Amino acid sequence: MGALSLILLLVMPNQVRIPAYDSGAPSPRIIPGICIVIMLIFSIVLIIQSLVFKQEKIVEFDWNKEKPAILLIVMLCVYVALITTIGFVPASALVFSAILFYCGERKPFIYIFVIAAATGIYFLFKYVFTVSLPTGIFF
Amino acid sequence: MGDIQLIMQALTQVFTVTNLLMILIGLVIGMIVGCIPGLSVMLGIILMLPVTYTIDDPATAIILLLAVYVGGMYGGSISAVTLNTPGTNSAIATTFDGYPLARKGKVKKALDTSLFSSVFGGLFSAILLLLCASLITKLVANFTSVEYFSMGILGISLIAGVSGNSLPKSIISGMIGLLMACIGMDAVTGVTRYSFGLDTLKYGIDLLPACIALIALTQVVQKLRDFKLSGGKLDDANKIDREGLTHKERLSIIPAVLKSSAIASILGAMPGVGGGVAQFLCYSEARRTSKHPEEFGKGSLEGIGAAEASNNAVVGSAMIPMLTLGIPGDGVTALLLGAFVLHGITPGPTMFTKQGVMAYTIILGCLIANILLFPIGLGMTRGVAKIIQVRYTYLAPLIIMFCFAGSYASTGNTKELVLCAAILVFSYLLTLLDIDNTPLMLGMILESIMEKNFVTASMAYDRDYTIFFRRPVSLVILILTVLLLVSLMKMNKKIAALNEKQMEEMEKAHEEL
Repeated sequence: MGALSLILLLVMPNQVRIPAYDSGAPSPRIIPGICIVIMLIFSIVLIIQSLVFKQEKIVEFDWNKEKPAILLIVMLCVYVALITTIGFVPASALVFSAILFYCGERKPFIYIFVIAAATGIYFLFKYVFTVSLPTGIFF
Repeated sequence: MGDIQLIMQALTQVFTVTNLLMILIGLVIGMIVGCIPGLSVMLGIILMLPVTYTIDDPATAIILLLAVYVGGMYGGSISAVTLNTPGTNSAIATTFDGYPLARKGKVKKALDTSLFSSVFGGLFSAILLLLCASLITKLVANFTSVEYFSMGILGISLIAGVSGNSLPKSIISGMIGLLMACIGMDAVTGVTRYSFGLDTLKYGIDLLPACIALIALTQVVQKLRDFKLSGGKLDDANKIDREGLTHKERLSIIPAVLKSSAIASILGAMPGVGGGVAQFLCYSEARRTSKHPEEFGKGSLEGIGAAEASNNAVVGSAMIPMLTLGIPGDGVTALLLGAFVLHGITPGPTMFTKQGVMAYTIILGCLIANILLFPIGLGMTRGVAKIIQVRYTYLAPLIIMFCFAGSYASTGNTKELVLCAAILVFSYLLTLLDIDNTPLMLGMILESIMEKNFVTASMAYDRDYTIFFRRPVSLVILILTVLLLVSLMKMNKKIAALNEKQMEEMEKAHEEL
């Protein structure tokens, strides 16, 4: 567990930070730097806790239990990709139909409901909040 | 201007049609998200955040969010009574007596008790907030940016200390939050930090998409996963009958309700305690001092009253440190702090001096939300209770669509959607690692305030970083951080043990029924 944060830390400090070229103010490196050092310290504490004191709470990864969650997240990522290409309403209709099918819903009404809801939210944002959601290629 | 004048001015601003309408909407939405187990009050507030963008007056926006909070705290008890599943964490103690009473067929009586004590507790603490706010701001009026930075550290440490079960992990989580907020253009020097050369990250991670992904989407995905795993079964709910609370019964629970309102208000005002802890303490205190302790766990009205008064009392008093010092006490207030920041207000003593009328408008709004909760609760509870029976597959798509649409609306750029998805994956990884993401969110919220103060302070003192330890008040705050952290952790361990004992006892009592 701690190892992951350690890797994260070791990669970060030198690789990406562009130093300040103009130093009228304190360097923009300070706050992130402090954070990273503190993270490092506590990652080491975690490792010590688990190795020396055997206090580690072992997090079991149960594939069967996590599979639906991972699939759902993947579907939501696909959703984002679809929104940017084919627009909000069609993307919602497609992805949520897939999600509902996966969740075991077979009645047609719920699918109609979802499509209606997507359209409803689209118009709610357009007219009430005056934000046009991505329309994609269809409109 | 004196405080009284400010309050009078605020009174005229609070009673507008928009404000009252917002309070009503907020209360109903709060009750709905509060009563659905697995959806927290935080989710309700996040869903409302994009909506507040369209509101011009920041005070109205905050009042709407506060109404969601107030409604949600009561809403949690609806499912606690009808399903024996608390809708929110702070309604666990309500199940102790609410469910047994419901089993006896007196659902309405249980709900009425809960409504009455919720309103009572909420009002109690809102009045306390009104009275204390100006006193505390006068105490801290001399704070400079040095002290504010130290206060930020105090806030993050306390949240880290109480959320999750491992301190190192929570602190790491808080630090990740600070780091995430650092991504993008630095406000002072204009240097790009940690963008990895990606255009998406160049302008930083906006607070709203981050909150949506971290809290709302993560919750919905988990709930949907459980739905899939359980095959979509619904629990049987108790039907609501018509026998309400009598006047005599109402009078009989007032002592217990008053006592737990007072205890919870004090606890709630301490950063890092929150509604969950307060209710257990109040419940056990009510049982200890009750004339009929044997009825507790078997449907005692006093028990419901104590538990429900406490979780609503926390709402008002948790706002005390938040509004006066800018330190949030728990996840929900952290989110409210984020809402303040999004609307360009920095809570703290300066808010009371510079935007005094607005500060009092918000406080009065909280007070009115609590008053209006009573009629709304009476009228809407039956309808809201039916929503628990709606299949989750109807709600989840709605919430997810609204989340994505909302994060897009915050800037009108599709990069927010990409960020949202990325943070969702990240937050899921954190849950797998058993790292709580509340400190992370708080870190993100506090970063801008902290860095601004840090930069101002170090520029004022010519980059002398020891200043944070040399200014007496700042030093005291930092020492307090350590002391409070240690004592809070000890206290929380004790309370957790006490809670477990109580829970076991209650489960036994429920089985006997």
